[in-house]
Amino acid sequence: MDQLLQTLKDGIAIGSLYALIALGYTMVYGILKFINFAHSDVVVLGAWLSLLFARKLEAVTGWGAPPWWAGALVLILAMAACALAGFCIERLAYKPIRGAPRLNVLITAIGVSLFLQNMGQQEWMFGTRPANIPALVNDATLFTVGRVNFTLLDAAGVGTALALMVGLEWLVFHTKIGRGMRAVSHSTATASLMGVPVNRVISTTFVIGSALAAAGGFLWALKYSQIKQTADTSWTLLGLKAFVAAVVGGIGNVRGAMLGGLAIGMLEMFGAAYLWSSMTDVYVFGLLIAVLLLRPGGILGKAVVEKV
Amino acid sequence: MSGSDVILDVRGVSKSFGGLKAVQDFSLSLSQGGLKGLIGPNGAGKTTVFNLLTGVYRPDAGTVRLGGANLVGLRPCAIAEAGMARTFQNIRLFGQLSVLDNVRLACHLRSSGTMTGAVLGSVFARGQERAMTERARELLRLFDLADREDEEARNLPYGDQRRLEIARALATGPAVLLLDEPAAGMNPQEKVELRQLIRRVRQEFKVTILLIEHDMGLVMDVCERIAVLDYGQVIAEGTPAEVQSNPRVVEAYLGEAPAEAGHA
Amino acid sequence: MNTSAAQLRERSRALAPGVGLSLARGVAPLVACLVLAVALQIAVRPLMGDYAAKLVLDIGVAVILAVSLTIVNGFTGQFSMGHAGFLAVGGYASGAVTYYGSLKVWGSAATHGGLLSGRPMSVDPSTLPLIGSGDLLFVGALLVGGLTAAALGLIVGLPSLRLRGDYLAIVTLGFGEIVRVCIQQTGPVIRTAAEAAQVPAWKLATSVGGALGFTGIPKYTSLFWVWLIAGITIMVAYRLKRSTYGRAFLSIREDEIASEAMGVNTTRYKVWAFVISAFFAGIAGGLFAHTLGVGLSAEAAGFLKSFDIIIMVVLGGLGSVSGAALAAMVVTLLPEWLRGKHVGPVDLSQYRLVIYALALILMMIFRPKGLLGVAELWDRSLWTSLAARLKRLAGGKGGSR
Repeated sequence: MDQLLQTLKDGIAIGSLYALIALGYTMVYGILKFINFAHSDVVVLGAWLSLLFARKLEAVTGWGAPPWWAGALVLILAMAACALAGFCIERLAYKPIRGAPRLNVLITAIGVSLFLQNMGQQEWMFGTRPANIPALVNDATLFTVGRVNFTLLDAAGVGTALALMVGLEWLVFHTKIGRGMRAVSHSTATASLMGVPVNRVISTTFVIGSALAAAGGFLWALKYSQIKQTADTSWTLLGLKAFVAAVVGGIGNVRGAMLGGLAIGMLEMFGAAYLWSSMTDVYVFGLLIAVLLLRPGGILGKAVVEKV
Repeated sequence: MSGSDVILDVRGVSKSFGGLKAVQDFSLSLSQGGLKGLIGPNGAGKTTVFNLLTGVYRPDAGTVRLGGANLVGLRPCAIAEAGMARTFQNIRLFGQLSVLDNVRLACHLRSSGTMTGAVLGSVFARGQERAMTERARELLRLFDLADREDEEARNLPYGDQRRLEIARALATGPAVLLLDEPAAGMNPQEKVELRQLIRRVRQEFKVTILLIEHDMGLVMDVCERIAVLDYGQVIAEGTPAEVQSNPRVVEAYLGEAPAEAGHA
Repeated sequence: MNTSAAQLRERSRALAPGVGLSLARGVAPLVACLVLAVALQIAVRPLMGDYAAKLVLDIGVAVILAVSLTIVNGFTGQFSMGHAGFLAVGGYASGAVTYYGSLKVWGSAATHGGLLSGRPMSVDPSTLPLIGSGDLLFVGALLVGGLTAAALGLIVGLPSLRLRGDYLAIVTLGFGEIVRVCIQQTGPVIRTAAEAAQVPAWKLATSVGGALGFTGIPKYTSLFWVWLIAGITIMVAYRLKRSTYGRAFLSIREDEIASEAMGVNTTRYKVWAFVISAFFAGIAGGLFAHTLGVGLSAEAAGFLKSFDIIIMVVLGGLGSVSGAALAAMVVTLLPEWLRGKHVGPVDLSQYRLVIYALALILMMIFRPKGLLGVAELWDRSLWTSLAARLKRLAGGKGGSR
């Protein structure tokens, strides 16, 4: 019973992280129809920037125990910085080849990803050694069920992810720019004819997606406290799993990404707890292949017929 | 019309996408060596009919018989092998391949031999390569493209690309040729030449042709019979003169404001 | 049979060249390749230092990998990102064959190679036969590695029937990852012939070191083997490309729907492309595994290695065999060339991958088809168009346009 509860808790914790990152993939795919391979690297950037900001803050305030607003401030700074990075990536790398064949865009995305990974490895950036982020939350156990502790950190993580997702949902479905996004995802050409500022919508998409990625990186750092170097394969895997979450939920579908993230988190945690713990990657990719072959549109998406 | 010389016999073919009935109960027959036009206002479902005949889409109901064999459910490549070839309304050449290679590729489905033979350079594979080149060059000559055989297909002028599409389709050795708006984007001079070309192709290759075209002058001139499609259904069929005077046809065209405004 | 097919066949027979000519043109390049590879090993190798020799060897393996990936990514336009998975599978499979084969036959994993296979330069060549008994085992092992990878290529190729473009890329990437994880789960290497004799064959196949890596594989790989196989790979890829099958591959890349409508069984050729490509990658893996100084580990299947190969294929030109080979050379040599190079205080060798990344991005913006596109180095049209462009450029500068 305790194990079940623990696994459930872990699944939700990691799943909400996946969901947060998956949103970035799904938004870009929905609008530009390509896999933004560099998205996971923006997550990494977010994690490392959180670390830098947290250290700076610690040095400036000289806190013994972090004040309650420390986490929030670091989160906001990291999100802002990554939003800027996302904007630049779109303008410099993706905009010049808009409308090019998918393969070219994919290659560009791989290029951007490699660029970010290897710039991050430089000594004047983040270096090649892992680093620990200072504690940003005074962790305490909120309550205990059986032998499973629910801590403030758990709550903060899931709460932040949830709040951001609700915010995004509101943005996409209740604001003008959100309507623009939905219009562009249906047809860029038509949206442009109808007076939707396509460039601004696409930039906004990247800005939001990157900010969410930063939040994902921040929460990851908070959760594991140790941050690995930017080219570590575990980051690429994190990104891939988030992408799988987006596909499983139905790519291009914001709610699908949340659902998919949760599904992947659960699959991983339950697989690890009840089957072989070293094979979690295999379960995730197995699910991806199964979904793509059996229901290519994902859970909430719909299959698209190519026009001839 | 249902004599023994019917080569393509389409009966009761329907297809809907979601709630939209794109083609309903479509029937058509082509007699051996015939040349029939398929016309209709924009969005009437003409290209969808081609996609159904060539297996790009699978019909919800109905049969498509080519020389007696039912083609429904076959993959497009199997339908091409059975003897149905097509051109595309929005040109789909192999852009980065040379003009010659575009046509030679279409000879592939009539080839024999093995991949190992090709890699080892067997006598037969070499001979076959020459034979394909020879056939492709003949076609290019006929279509007045011989001096451009080394150019990349995407660099050809529009009219040449349309003609290359027809040459490529013919290289598959078809019994029935489906032409989807071959005159679209051509200038008047090219259109006149196209008429002659279509007639010549029909004589020299003994193919049966089904032609979608918006240029009424061309359709009325080259086609022996015409079928008119509107809202996915055949509303009239007959000789050009019969069709032109059919009140339902007139209504279908005039009911839709400028009929030449764009492409279906 | 269709009359059109019958006509074509008849005409093919009529136009077929003589057997002599055909044989000469078919076999001559192979013989040339063999002679060059022998010369490289016997005459050139002793003149090189070990470091230079290793570099030339690495280039050869990279050429095989890049050219084989070209068959999938370049010819058919399916984007595989799991090529390193095939490399690793081929490496482990062939490594297991030579290692355990040697234990069974000779009681130890020592090499039994000849003049043409890998050996320390200190060994006196006059005592060696041209081809040793160990070489036969090695060739057999390479084939096993290639075939194992090809079988896996068949399995990986199947999703390509239903997925296009970027989805396939992700699935193949996932495949490489699955291979990596599975290799890590394998058991420790069995070290003595006596132990190996007591264990069933399937158990031996899974005792390849797990997370510790597969050590102790006899080192047969030499410049001769690598460049002989590189030559064969280039030849097969190029001949495929120039054949009617190659046009079928390329047509899928250009327009899958039109290709299908022209009678190309696109699913069959896509799977074939994966199988052929995986076969050569598996052989490259075998060569890699038997190279002196190489530790074979699960990381060989990781996506960093796959990315390296993709960079070669994209930079060289998607669909160009010689372009891929050239890029393989450049990408392998670049870090050596950058070593110790400084621009101001910046050590350029630190920026190797950053340079590749920028090259990829800029290439997609300014020359999306890669350096050579589908053309080959020896295509005349490539040079004439280049000359025309240069002329235009010169003319533009002169103010004539």
